[in-house]
Amino acid sequence: MSSKLPDGKTMRDGQIFSARLNNVVTTEREFDELVTKSLPELLDRATGQTKRFLRETNQWGDDITHEKLALRWGYELVERFVVFGRAEVPCRPFFLLDSLIAKSFSQPDPLCYHKELLTPVGRFLDGLASRAVVSRDALITLFYHFYGFSQAHVVKLLGFGQAESQRVYKNFERWRQSGWQRTMNETGLSGSEIEVLEQELLTRPDHLNHEVDRLMPVLQSHYRKSEPEHYPCLSEQKWGQLFHDDYGHDYRVWHLAFCRDCFMEVADRRQTEASNGLKPQVNLHIHPLKKGGVLALFGGDRGGRHHGSTRAQRLSRTSA
Amino acid sequence: MEAPELNDYREHLLDALDDQPRRATEERPGLLQVLVNHERVGMLDCAHTDPSFAFTARERSIQHLEIRSESGVLIGGCVAPEAGHKDVRIPVGKGAATIHVENHFDGGSLQVQYETAPRWWAHLAAAMGLPSETSKPAASATPIWTMTTAFAQIVLAVGVVALLAERVPSWMGSDDRAHQLEEELAARQSTQEQVDRVHQQLAQLVEAQAAAVAISRSEQERIAQLNNLVDTVTLAQQKLNTQVVTVQEDLQTVKTGVAQEVQNGIRVAVSTVEAERELVRQDLQSIKSVNETLIKQVALLESRNRELHARLALTSLEVAKANAAPKSTVLAKNDTAKDAAVSTPVADGLRETDRQAFMFWVAFQDGTTEKSIEDLVQELNGIKKGPMKSGWYSVEVNLPKPEPPDRFLESVKRAKIVKSVVTSKAMPPAQ
Repeated sequence: MSSKLPDGKTMRDGQIFSARLNNVVTTEREFDELVTKSLPELLDRATGQTKRFLRETNQWGDDITHEKLALRWGYELVERFVVFGRAEVPCRPFFLLDSLIAKSFSQPDPLCYHKELLTPVGRFLDGLASRAVVSRDALITLFYHFYGFSQAHVVKLLGFGQAESQRVYKNFERWRQSGWQRTMNETGLSGSEIEVLEQELLTRPDHLNHEVDRLMPVLQSHYRKSEPEHYPCLSEQKWGQLFHDDYGHDYRVWHLAFCRDCFMEVADRRQTEASNGLKPQVNLHIHPLKKGGVLALFGGDRGGRHHGSTRAQRLSRTSA
Repeated sequence: MEAPELNDYREHLLDALDDQPRRATEERPGLLQVLVNHERVGMLDCAHTDPSFAFTARERSIQHLEIRSESGVLIGGCVAPEAGHKDVRIPVGKGAATIHVENHFDGGSLQVQYETAPRWWAHLAAAMGLPSETSKPAASATPIWTMTTAFAQIVLAVGVVALLAERVPSWMGSDDRAHQLEEELAARQSTQEQVDRVHQQLAQLVEAQAAAVAISRSEQERIAQLNNLVDTVTLAQQKLNTQVVTVQEDLQTVKTGVAQEVQNGIRVAVSTVEAERELVRQDLQSIKSVNETLIKQVALLESRNRELHARLALTSLEVAKANAAPKSTVLAKNDTAKDAAVSTPVADGLRETDRQAFMFWVAFQDGTTEKSIEDLVQELNGIKKGPMKSGWYSVEVNLPKPEPPDRFLESVKRAKIVKSVVTSKAMPPAQ
């Protein structure tokens, strides 16, 4: 379907359609056909505009990390264009894409850009958080990747009933099967980068967890805007009342996944209620929780070394 | 090293874009996430009896709308104009979601309605001219489900009976085995379908019940929030009242303090003025007494001066007499009496010429005794002329020639008991 050009760019069969992208498309079928065959041009256009935006806002650097970042955001823009465009027919595809991009970049603070998020661990966290905004699977498993909570712990933390706890197990399952890998691919983290992260977590878990602890507020303050405006931070008393009266389930999931301070407060309180007495803390996990895995929470073995031979998690056949 | 990695990444993203429509189509309708302007605003449960979702934005219009599956796959959406409306219909699994966006410049509203694909019996019913299930109102859904469940149970029972009826002969070994197997399989499939359908309907029933409970809970939450709000307002009002009372008390305290301070200040100032006035009075009295002493001394000195004048006059007369005595012895002795008679008027004449009579009118202070008046008149070597007339005494004194009357009157005026003095030439003033 594609062939490499000498300058490194890829030539696709659909590239011949690029001239038609400036012309009016009159039917949905025509739009679908044209878009399917012109995806490289559309992606390059969206990536180019993202680069321009980054340059104009003094956020650009000539390195592969920035190139990947621009590609990732360009991809997200084109994905929306592909889905939304059918409803806009008749239209000129390039014009429509440009207007969509302009509208996106005219939002306040449209991209989560921070220099320290360009490191492998930063990109990993950013990928997870940006996916969690649109995927409940990613959202639920944030508790695992950030704090090492298994399904059972998440259910206990969020105070869910039977029906909702089944959903949590499904979320973990889907994330394990495809969600995590897709997110890593779309974030642009290569296998070797993930391996390096895994090694660092194995050798210097405290250092890496400290780094995560430092970057979390940057991430969460950006992505927390994705929750409804009536979801502010609550006092300890209000959280207690919310759990006691058993309401606001959506609130619990969204806010606690994206607010470290509230999470620590609620987890500490609910952990104390469960007579465990150990304080919750940041405990990074790179890979998704394996099937049948149950974690020993809040122990002295931070780092989630569950993928190596020295893994800290106890394995059980009883859980999903 | 970097370019191939970047190309790989780009290729991967292109493949993901290529694959997107397939992924969206394969998504089974379940819980759909609704995102407005890249913010998640709620979920649409397609398995609900009334699968619809409504949202109202108050500050910004609804410009981007995304419908995503629970795993985050973008299923559909649209870009709506800042003001105006937009209607979109997107396929979701076998069904479709109808989106209606109504925007104005400071907000907008969204309505998403999921419609399931009509099932095979609906087509059958339509072909038979019966009313379809979807055309019935949503309110009657629960009885329909109940009836359907009962019907399914009956079908299930019939199926089981039929199965048993077919099985029994086979156990007896009287029928054709292959035919039985085929029928058995068909019956089992049919039963399984019925069971699945019943399960599905039961699940829908449970979800409907859960939704009703959720609505009830949300209402309770709202009531609780309202109660909290009322409590907060009451508390705030009580606090306000307490603060008002406190402020009034503070004002009263401040007023009292200020009044006391002013009174103290006035009292101190008055006492200071009184003390200063007393000092001034004492100073005045001391000055007055010194003045009186000086007047007395001046009067005494004047009287001595007068005496000295008188003595001088007498002495000069005696000196004159002494000078005239040798001459008179030389003259005739018979003239002695005459000379003596003549010399006496000369001496008297000299005294008369040396002194002058001076009359003036004097008024004394109230309460001055007669004795004091007499003492003063004597001190002045004067004579009271006549009785007191309208508070005025006429006094005549013999002043030595060199002393002018004005100076004498000034000395009289300085006497403590004298109120006023006028000369004899003037008429005594009427009292």
